[in-house]
Amino acid sequence: MNYPLWQIGIPGGLVIAMVAILHVFISHFAIGGGAYLVLLERKANRENDSGLLEYVKKHSVLFALLTLVFGAVSGVGIWFTIGLVSPEATSSLIHTFVWGWAIEWVFFFVEIAAALIYAYGWDSMRRAAHMAVGWVYFVAAWASLVIINGIITYMLTPGRWLQTHGFWDGFFNPTYWPSLVVRTGMAVVLAGMFGLVTGLRIASPVREKIIRYAGWWILLGLLFLVLPVRWYYSDFPPEAKAYFTTILPGMHHVFNLGVAAAALSFVLTALFAIAKPAWLRASMVAIILLCGLTIIGSGEYDREVARKPYAITNYIYSNDLRLAEMPALDKTGFVTTAKWVNRSDASEYSTGQQLFRMQCGVCHSLNGYRAMARRVVGWDKEFAKDALLHLPKMRGTMPPFAGNEQDRTAVATYLASLAPAPAPSADEAAQGRLVFEERCAMCHTIGGMFRPLEFGGMDVDAIDGMLQQLDVLSPDMPPFHGSDAERKALSVFLHSGARIDSRSSRSGQSQ
Amino acid sequence: MSEMIPIPTPDPMPLPGPVWLMLTLLLVTFLLHLIAMNLTVGGALMAAICSLRRKTDVFAGRLASDLTRLLPVSLAFTITLGVAALLFVQVLYGNLLYSSSILIGMFWIGVIPTLIIAYYGLYYSKSHPNDTRGLWLSLVLLLAIGFIYVNNFTLMMSPQQWLEMYRHSAAGLNLNWTDPSLAPRYLHFMLGALAIAGFIIFVAGAWNRSTEYGQWMMHKGSHWFIAPTLLNYAVGMWFLLALPRNVLITLFTADRLGAILIALGMLFPIAAVAHVVLAIRTDKTIVHAKLAVLMTLLTMMVMVGLRQVVRAAYLDKYVQLRELPVESQWSVISIFLILFVAGLLTVYIMVKQLHRGSGESTKLRAPSS
Repeated sequence: MNYPLWQIGIPGGLVIAMVAILHVFISHFAIGGGAYLVLLERKANRENDSGLLEYVKKHSVLFALLTLVFGAVSGVGIWFTIGLVSPEATSSLIHTFVWGWAIEWVFFFVEIAAALIYAYGWDSMRRAAHMAVGWVYFVAAWASLVIINGIITYMLTPGRWLQTHGFWDGFFNPTYWPSLVVRTGMAVVLAGMFGLVTGLRIASPVREKIIRYAGWWILLGLLFLVLPVRWYYSDFPPEAKAYFTTILPGMHHVFNLGVAAAALSFVLTALFAIAKPAWLRASMVAIILLCGLTIIGSGEYDREVARKPYAITNYIYSNDLRLAEMPALDKTGFVTTAKWVNRSDASEYSTGQQLFRMQCGVCHSLNGYRAMARRVVGWDKEFAKDALLHLPKMRGTMPPFAGNEQDRTAVATYLASLAPAPAPSADEAAQGRLVFEERCAMCHTIGGMFRPLEFGGMDVDAIDGMLQQLDVLSPDMPPFHGSDAERKALSVFLHSGARIDSRSSRSGQSQ
Repeated sequence: MSEMIPIPTPDPMPLPGPVWLMLTLLLVTFLLHLIAMNLTVGGALMAAICSLRRKTDVFAGRLASDLTRLLPVSLAFTITLGVAALLFVQVLYGNLLYSSSILIGMFWIGVIPTLIIAYYGLYYSKSHPNDTRGLWLSLVLLLAIGFIYVNNFTLMMSPQQWLEMYRHSAAGLNLNWTDPSLAPRYLHFMLGALAIAGFIIFVAGAWNRSTEYGQWMMHKGSHWFIAPTLLNYAVGMWFLLALPRNVLITLFTADRLGAILIALGMLFPIAAVAHVVLAIRTDKTIVHAKLAVLMTLLTMMVMVGLRQVVRAAYLDKYVQLRELPVESQWSVISIFLILFVAGLLTVYIMVKQLHRGSGESTKLRAPSS
């Protein structure tokens, strides 16, 4: 491990997600809001509507305060956070795309200058010049998306870059265009949503006019998004689609949450912004904004999850280890080569704990988010050692374990100490279910969607016979390590599988 | 011993551009960042102090309010220009900077919320001229951010301290207190910030010297400039002597550039001070003010260059930038350079438009009544 590990008790990935989602929420508003401002200013000028112009002026204050301060600084915040959590991947991105970022910086610089001039220039500029500055702002803001979009999508689908390591191959990657279109659509939606915030505080009759106008931005933006989102998804890598459809129901739930938020904001907007703008209240605008945040959050979350187990697909794993260095680590050992290991306590437990933090900590906490203690209930050291050999096989979402036999033993010792063995159940089938959840559910569900186990026609003894030679049946399976009684109970449970199906498959899929 | 120091291996990918280009961009953007930062931090301090006397001194009140209106803008540019410098320093020294950032991680990430609060504090005081609480709060927060930055950029050059810090707190609850050069370095920067902010007030006064307020600004600005500048000679000497022995030796013996820059760094500021005094005492105000601007700019350039030379001397044992593999992405670099020029031109044109009208955009064509 090249870099020290920032250990703050919560998985680093979660910290990135929190900072990033808030930033993306505001930064997409910063793009769409630019066009919204200038178009409204033009409308006010054309219709000679001083009330409307007064609104645009007010809105530009909120706009500047949110985008210049929170938007810009939280963007820097993403940089800070990814550098702290994934320095190796960040370094790699910087080495590949520093000139892309430099170009983005030029747009950022122009964008900030234009936003300030637009906000400060209401009383001192010619009308045409003021609007031109507004357009410069919008073009620069959108252009910065054009650039950063190439870097974000590259991480999910690096495409030909993996062979060529060429800037443009990475930049114009398979998901570049759909992502750009989706994000542009979302910028339109958010411009409308924030337009409602200031629209509310304007006196009638301009109030209704503005609320309707902002409402149309939301409705048309949401309608526009339907096809591009499908297009985007169709270009996802096949593994990511498998997560979505079968392996990670959570991903699907989050997507549905985003769709529900879109639908709710659509209905609220149609009713209270378009049909009856007089009825619109602050609480509804708050809900609509929350829907906007949820849409953004679900999109960003799913894009990040889709990339598992990588930070940069097929190049760097999410735990900051490079694919290329894995064979060497397996051979020479992880602890012996890691630079930031505390070797003063060389016990297996302490070494295992450090290794766990370095290789697993970016996604797993002990008891909180993606809690490890819950996942290793009933694991003994031998089983844990075997499990570590098969990490990528479990759901396809985890990087392989990096290290030699000694490293694996250390982590297994640590994992086996995390959760006490549950009390055995008196009922054999119930006991069998426990054993299933402890030893099989990380890879299988019964009759469920993911690697279903079907034992139609087999009796308990036949199943028990299979359990005794799991590693012979498939090299991807560890041998059964439990006691004879546990194995028998598992056989009974598997035999009666259909009956207990729903409960067990749910617990099996909760990862 | 050096095997025990856990310096991360530099990225296996080659640098996407020549070192000289990256270094030039780093130094140029850092210089610009420094000017904006000095105006912001020094200006916030001046505004806060002036606001204390706003009831008794009309000009102090006016300067406080002028500065307060300017500060959110200068902070915006401090951040924007700082982003560029941070980008290029990451390419060249990422393996060191990520490590030191992680070691002070809690404070480093704390910069972000602190900056957001400081920024809103400045906007608050801009829209509430009679309430100086926002200004004072922002000032304290900005000074704290400066301290964290100085901490990180000294720590990245001192890998021998890293392991011990990591053992003390892997959550990043460390600060680099033990470095003897930390206090003088921070003080040197902050006094410099005050001096440059004072200098900018002086220049603004010189160009408006026909008014009473302009005269006052010239005098006041020169005080704010001269006192910290002279004090910075002492602090600079302290800073120099607090540097590790090997760095000092490299600076004065092995590296001729270091010695030259130190000499120039002592020469230019006193020349700037002299021209400021002459601008006030003689009737060739503008000539001397222009020369003072030149000398001050040269001082800052020398200081930024010297900082890089010191950094190279610190890292001599660990990093040789010239040895890093390079594979320049010339197609992207060209696009960047073209857009960079176009961007500057766009900003220039926009700024020129700023005072071309007279509030036309808020006043509609003909009043309908």
